[in-house]
Amino acid sequence: MTDTVLDIRDVHTTLGGNSIHRGLDLTVRRGEVIALIGGSGTGKSVLLREIIGLLRPQSGRIELFGQSVWEASPAQMNALRRRFGVLFQDGALFSSLNVEDNVATPLFEHTTLPHGICRQLARLKLGLANLPADVAKKKPSELSGGMRKRVALARALALDPELLFLDEPTSGLDPISARAFDTLIRLLADSLGLTVFLVTHDLDTLFSIIDRVIVLSNGRVLGSGSVAELKQLDDPWLTAYFAARAEEASPHGN
Amino acid sequence: MTAHARYDAATRALIASGDWQAEAASALPDMAGQPVQVLDGAGLTRLDTNGAWLLLAAARPDAGDPMPELRGFAPAHRAVVELVAQHCTATARQPDPPREGLRSLTGRGAVAMGRHLAGLLDFVGHLTVESLALIGRPGQWRWRELAAQVRDIFVGAIPIVVGMLFLLGVVFAYLLGDQARQYGANIFVVDGILMAILREISPVIVAILVAGRTGAAITAQLGAMKVTEEIDAIATLGLSPLAVLVIPRMLALLIAMPLLVFIGDVAGILGGMLVAQEQLDISSHMFLDRMADVLLLKTLLVGLFKAPVFAIFIALIACRMGLAVTRDSRSVGANTTSTVVQSLVAIIILNAIFAVAFVQLNI
Repeated sequence: MTDTVLDIRDVHTTLGGNSIHRGLDLTVRRGEVIALIGGSGTGKSVLLREIIGLLRPQSGRIELFGQSVWEASPAQMNALRRRFGVLFQDGALFSSLNVEDNVATPLFEHTTLPHGICRQLARLKLGLANLPADVAKKKPSELSGGMRKRVALARALALDPELLFLDEPTSGLDPISARAFDTLIRLLADSLGLTVFLVTHDLDTLFSIIDRVIVLSNGRVLGSGSVAELKQLDDPWLTAYFAARAEEASPHGN
Repeated sequence: MTAHARYDAATRALIASGDWQAEAASALPDMAGQPVQVLDGAGLTRLDTNGAWLLLAAARPDAGDPMPELRGFAPAHRAVVELVAQHCTATARQPDPPREGLRSLTGRGAVAMGRHLAGLLDFVGHLTVESLALIGRPGQWRWRELAAQVRDIFVGAIPIVVGMLFLLGVVFAYLLGDQARQYGANIFVVDGILMAILREISPVIVAILVAGRTGAAITAQLGAMKVTEEIDAIATLGLSPLAVLVIPRMLALLIAMPLLVFIGDVAGILGGMLVAQEQLDISSHMFLDRMADVLLLKTLLVGLFKAPVFAIFIALIACRMGLAVTRDSRSVGANTTSTVVQSLVAIIILNAIFAVAFVQLNI
């Protein structure tokens, strides 16, 4: 089994005349929990869309599980899609389906299991995402923001992917729900052996559950490593970014 | 490695091997309710939560049954099985909620219909108050928005109105002419065309076109704004969504509909004139002379009078349905459909009322 799950080489992206990525390289190994950070407009979400096959970069190579995303045939791409799950920023639940069917949709489409079993597996995923059993029959519009994120996480986990992409998983959640969500992601990553790649702005997430942080700046990877290692880097944006946390935590001598 | 599982009756063990994922379900042996006391996972090469759940569900069909003994599992696989086992009670098959009977469906429908009509009345009330308040303050009228709406509703609809009414005029004149010729009453075709196009066909067809084209667009647009909270933002800025969004659209429809009906009148008469010339040998000169003789101003005015009434109903229904969208995408579609259906029903009913009322009033 290859050790490298995601490999990005020399990616260039131009959107609407703006150069977003200028020769971006990064690698993610199996079992890592990675956070991608960077200022607004540095192309974090764009990169995520390129990795999962929604947006084509101008040039460069993106490999998932050793298979180039943008050279894969539709059948190969579908096989790849089964191996990763995506949590979109606002959950992107299907508003016409109830929660259970939302989570069961990937199972309906990608497996030959009877629908009854798919729904039971969907409820297992809801349980893993720490949701009470009575949400299964509700509509997404009846849920709170935090619950919708959990349902979206359950849907991302439906096919037991090896790799999980999360776009700002804790944005829009209150700090308590956000920390609970962090803990849940780490727990699932450890117990299911998941590789997690998340885009975030949340400093608390970085400090609590992340193995390695990758910083995007000026269309390239500025640095990659633990939070402590990144603090050594001399970059104005990064310094200001970590200072935001230091100020608020300084009375406790953090 | 493909998944395998077999049942060993002597030790009452379910022995699984290979990659156990969702697809492995077909590899489960038929156990016919025999008890499983041991789950043997020594031969497993991969196990995910879907596979673990399938094995557990086979080993103990009821989540309340005692957990089978786990034998030979690798530590990582054992952890997955134990994690899944904690959540098994939630996955028990739930009975589908009972189907609603005809009676409760009828009742629910009647209540929903009553609520809908009450909501429409409430909307009309708010709109009236808001409009009256605006009359005294011309400075707050949204001229630019009004002009943009008139352009969309009127100019954009001209080609389709002309095309449809011209063809309807052709068809109507052709069929009427075919009958009239048998009695040598060719010239009376002109009377028939004028009466039908001006009084009935043009107002009703234009109203149906506008309901399908503009009514649906208004509902979808306001509905999408509701979903993205734009309407809440307008209200929070101290502006009235009715004054900013609804009243300009309503006025634009009031202005555009009579104009469209008039254009439809002209197109329909041109269509009839073409057929009269080709089929009945009534030259355009004769047609126009006859028209000057028999056309009463009131025939034209009756048609033009219907237009703003239809316009008010289309605008009311479309705006109200747009603002009644709840915050999910399905409701945008449902309300848009509903706008078109309600508008068509309203147009047909109003037209029937007009027909009877005008006859009774000798108009």
